[in-house]
Amino acid sequence: MMLLGKLALGFAGTALAGAGLLCSEGIVVVNVVEKSPERHHIFVPAPAMLIPIAMHFAPKEKLAEASREIRPYLPTIRAAVEGLRESEDVTLVEVKEPGQHVRVSKSGGSIIVDVEDEENTVHVSTPIRAISSAIEQLAAADSNTRP
Amino acid sequence: MNLNTSLKAMGNRFQAIAVLCLLATALLTSTVVAAPGERYLHVRVEDAEKGESVNVNLPLSIAEKILPTVNKGNLHAGTVRISDADIEGVDIKAILEAIRTAPDNEFVTVKEQDQNVRVAKSNGNLIIHVRDNGKDKRGQKVEVTVPLKVVDALFSTAKQNELDITAAIRALDGAGEMLLVTVEDASQHVKIWVDSRNTSD
Repeated sequence: MMLLGKLALGFAGTALAGAGLLCSEGIVVVNVVEKSPERHHIFVPAPAMLIPIAMHFAPKEKLAEASREIRPYLPTIRAAVEGLRESEDVTLVEVKEPGQHVRVSKSGGSIIVDVEDEENTVHVSTPIRAISSAIEQLAAADSNTRP
Repeated sequence: MNLNTSLKAMGNRFQAIAVLCLLATALLTSTVVAAPGERYLHVRVEDAEKGESVNVNLPLSIAEKILPTVNKGNLHAGTVRISDADIEGVDIKAILEAIRTAPDNEFVTVKEQDQNVRVAKSNGNLIIHVRDNGKDKRGQKVEVTVPLKVVDALFSTAKQNELDITAAIRALDGAGEMLLVTVEDASQHVKIWVDSRNTSD
């Protein structure tokens, strides 16, 4: 009985540590609500840690090509990401047109994009840490493919 | 007896903890209030005819970090290169020095049938007002107010044909809250200003 308890505790601890590790980079949230009569609703909360993991399965050549394209802009992107990480919460850009509203903001360590038009309401939240990791991984992709 | 003493001791301890908590809160609050806040460059463009509006709120600290990393077109390492043709042999630094040392004054006033232009110095700011009543301009009014120390920073590079944008942003950060540019015509309204609020409202 004691042994079973220890095993259960071990499993629970491992699961908890795994979940903690998986969520250590934060959670990417995609929420899409269609305004059609059927009113489809897509809600995907995914651990941001999955982004670099998913990038491992992307074709190496494609990643290397993207890496070469992004290289000239890397210092600017890194500076922007670092600045955003350190800055207070802020609505960076807001565009309002008849029937459309777009907002890009920084809130609680995440970049949030909200788009609302006549057909959909879209909300995407991505942790800045995850963006940073993905960019660094992309930057390294070119050197990883070289012999 | 012992219980009473223990309760009294506990009460004293709680009081001491409460006082410490209050002190810590007061200290934290004063620190938060005293801390210099982030400044934001706001740009608002509104088109009443089309019912459109664009708001940009950029923390100046981010602009300061990004600008030196951009190398595109005329922008290199936070400076913009102006072509020699645009300067046309004019010593801009000498002109600025003359403006800086001059007392508050109206330097240029042009009044035409369709256009009024006014360039002045007031309270350490360079002020440019243009009102255009021409056919195409539909009563366009442009008002620009730039602190002279921002203009100085702009021309602080050693080279005559370069503008130091990063230094100007830094100077703007220290210049306080102010309205920099307004452009108005019959339907459009553009406003650029700096303050410590993270929204354009």
